[in-house]
Amino acid sequence: MIALYIVAAIAAFAAIRAIVEKNTGRKLPYANVLSFAVSGALVLLLDHPLSLVAAAAYFVGSTLESNAIASTYSGGVKR
Amino acid sequence: MLDEILHILAAAIISWILFVTVDIFFRLPETGGVSGASAIARDIEATGGALSGGTMMGNIVCSPDASAGTLLAACGVYVAGIPGGLAAALMVFIGNRICYDPGYAGTTGAILATFVVYAFTLIGFSATDFIAGMVIAILTIQGLSHAHASRLLARLWRVRQ
Repeated sequence: MIALYIVAAIAAFAAIRAIVEKNTGRKLPYANVLSFAVSGALVLLLDHPLSLVAAAAYFVGSTLESNAIASTYSGGVKR
Repeated sequence: MLDEILHILAAAIISWILFVTVDIFFRLPETGGVSGASAIARDIEATGGALSGGTMMGNIVCSPDASAGTLLAACGVYVAGIPGGLAAALMVFIGNRICYDPGYAGTTGAILATFVVYAFTLIGFSATDFIAGMVIAILTIQGLSHAHASRLLARLWRVRQ
């Protein structure tokens, strides 16, 4: 139970820092902490084998989004 | 209650050592896997951080690395024991390929973490301790001070070199 509270508190903290930070490059690591915390909270809340698939899908999806935002931010693919 | 808090703190330290070791072994601080990782590294360096540490942090953001592997392996062990952890490793492997990452840091980290977490569940720890522990561990790298975290990672990277 304490594990869930810790993870939820870290998620809220990371979300606030991601909102407050103005620079996109430095915002993304905070968003990364947020996706770690949300994936962990998902499994802690739903103790079911499929919650692992949900957590992994959420995590990979949000990582791919960060990857896309960061790559666009850096100038995208040079052709 | 105090026991659980101590277990979570111990799990955080173990997860931290595990994922930083695997990531540095797989040379994450060396180059940005995608252009976005290098852009994050430059922004972290601009606030007084170190470029190689920032590159590792950028790589962690852009693709599931050993830290993600450790988190998902702990989740897997929690819901289904060792098979769950190995299923998590497979999903991290797929995630790496989706994120255009040619490396194996995430998959290796997930497989190692599966056995580490399982071993600790045999001596009184719970897999949930490792889920919360890994979230604390990633917070110390990505969520507190980018400048300090990147300098620490750069120092560890110099030791590896």
